[in-house]
Amino acid sequence: MDETVAEFIKRTILKIPMNELITILKAWDFLSENQLQTINFRQRKESVVQHLVWLCEEKQASVNDAALLDIICEDVDLFDMKQFKNSFKKILQRALKNVTVSFRETEENAVWIRIAWGTQYTKPNQYKPTYVVYYSQTPYAFTSSRLRRNAPLLGQALTVASKHHQIVKMDLRSRYLDSLKAIVFKQYNQIFESHNSTTPLQERNLGLDVNMDSRIIHENIVEKERVQQITQETFGDYPQPQLEFAQYKLETKFKSDLNGSILAEREEPLRCLIKFSSPHLLEALKSLAPAGIADAPLSPLLTCIPNKRMNYFKIRDK
Amino acid sequence: MDSYDASESTPRQSTSSRPEDYFIGATFLQKRLESVRKQTSFVPTPPRRKIPHCSLLQEDVDLQKVAFLLHKQWTLYSLTPLYKFSYSNLKEYSRLLNAFIVAEKQKGLAVEVGEDFNIKVIFSTLLGIKGTQRDPEAFLVQILSKSQLPSENRESKVLWTGWFCCIFGDSLLETVSEDFTCLPLFLANGTESNTAIIGTWFQKTFDCYFSPLAINAFNLSWMAAMWTACKMDHYVATTEFLWSVPCSPQSLDISYAIHPEDAKALWDSVHKTPGEVTQEEVDLFMDCLYSHFHRHFKIHLSATRLVRVSTSVASAHTDGKIKILCHKYLIGVLAYLTELAIFQIE
Repeated sequence: MDETVAEFIKRTILKIPMNELITILKAWDFLSENQLQTINFRQRKESVVQHLVWLCEEKQASVNDAALLDIICEDVDLFDMKQFKNSFKKILQRALKNVTVSFRETEENAVWIRIAWGTQYTKPNQYKPTYVVYYSQTPYAFTSSRLRRNAPLLGQALTVASKHHQIVKMDLRSRYLDSLKAIVFKQYNQIFESHNSTTPLQERNLGLDVNMDSRIIHENIVEKERVQQITQETFGDYPQPQLEFAQYKLETKFKSDLNGSILAEREEPLRCLIKFSSPHLLEALKSLAPAGIADAPLSPLLTCIPNKRMNYFKIRDK
Repeated sequence: MDSYDASESTPRQSTSSRPEDYFIGATFLQKRLESVRKQTSFVPTPPRRKIPHCSLLQEDVDLQKVAFLLHKQWTLYSLTPLYKFSYSNLKEYSRLLNAFIVAEKQKGLAVEVGEDFNIKVIFSTLLGIKGTQRDPEAFLVQILSKSQLPSENRESKVLWTGWFCCIFGDSLLETVSEDFTCLPLFLANGTESNTAIIGTWFQKTFDCYFSPLAINAFNLSWMAAMWTACKMDHYVATTEFLWSVPCSPQSLDISYAIHPEDAKALWDSVHKTPGEVTQEEVDLFMDCLYSHFHRHFKIHLSATRLVRVSTSVASAHTDGKIKILCHKYLIGVLAYLTELAIFQIE
């Protein structure tokens, strides 16, 4: 066997954690059962690895075999559903004693988790469960709200079980999981193919007064078209993901165009909290400029919501 | 409603005529119609109003009772003057209204499941809830559930409360004869079915008419400015505005909350005339809020509908709902509402 192959196999096996070694070697299926049985896996890792490499040399492992071993290692690294579920459940049970955890796997590599919370002394409350949806191929999980006491514990369980380093709460909330997914996974502009957007004027219901001066009508049309075009460029031609609200915490100084003297000496900013609510916020915002209620282009604070995947903002003067 | 013509005559300059010829109800309405024809339907707001100051009259004010009026949501109505109402008959009224309510409920007109017919009706006066000595005494009506249990300590539960008042009602008082008692502002807390039953009894007994009192955006702006102008030792609530945006197909609500100290700072910077609030100042105050919002969001709030304002003094909703949070300015708030009620009656 080539020196380089031997070295490669040695390094690959060294990377495998001891608790997974046997599984991987079995999956690799290069060394026979008998051969594996000759190894004492309780030795120090270096000794085990040495023994294994020697067995591979005996069997004359090729580059291809080594490559196959490499692939198998990568595969296991990715995601082990069983291990995740066990780990997750264990962490919660160790902390709370009384907790009911149930799992359901769905397509798209998603696992739905239902947790009914209890405490050291009380039974789990089955009427107020928390639901978590974890997409194993991504670093994202979605949780139903209603978590206060147990949020850190849940975060810890998710992080450890999924083998990540930390969990960060995103400033994005909605009642519609599909919308959250669409925004987080940036899928919203793939829903519809963009079609020809230059629909002739008659088809758009502009409701013009036919008795108006034709020059004014022309200017209105030009302006309306401009607004329509900008709106389309900003929001796209596709249905917007459904969000119910956006919240902005503003701490900005007052600067007025009306009257320069108002609050001119005041150093402190105005502390404001602005909340937009709607059954379908993004569609409502999209309709503002065409309705004349907002300027076009709309403020980036609003249009950035799907892109930034946030609907909670803190804005300060720079 | 951006322009105000100072030369418009306000309704309170209407003349009183022929007080001797009154038939019950009909003539009163006739008189009202006459004075209405003389005026236009312009918003009769004066270009300036006094900033409310702590002004409970030096009377025997029952602070306990006043406290119970606070922190409750009241639904507002305007009420035409009551014919031949007497403060010495309150006990009799309690008895009559009680009988009426029981009869109505037994008729099945407003049956609520599990409702207890054991009720107690109490009429009482509310001392000190008036603007001047000329204002009639305010009075309170409460419906309590009479406890079935023999234990004396069990407190009765209040099912419904309504009170009638008149704060600085001179413009209305001048126009009616002595047979009428003017309490144009009515506030109710409780189920609508109860309010309807009690309203019916009053209408039948005193030949008066209730009308829900809506508050338009113009008046809400005034309230926001006036209440922001009030001096407060400490703020119990943030200053908040709620706009409803008429976009379709989806509705959109915009809530704009500003720290009360910052709202006050903004108001102080706008305010010029001591002790008074002018139309210009209200407009400028609101425009500042609009422009600050526009700077960030490019949305014209002035093109949307203001539906609710909320301050540490009080909060008001366009549907005619009010909640008063500060006893110091109770009279001031009621004064404005009385003005709106009188305008609606006239």
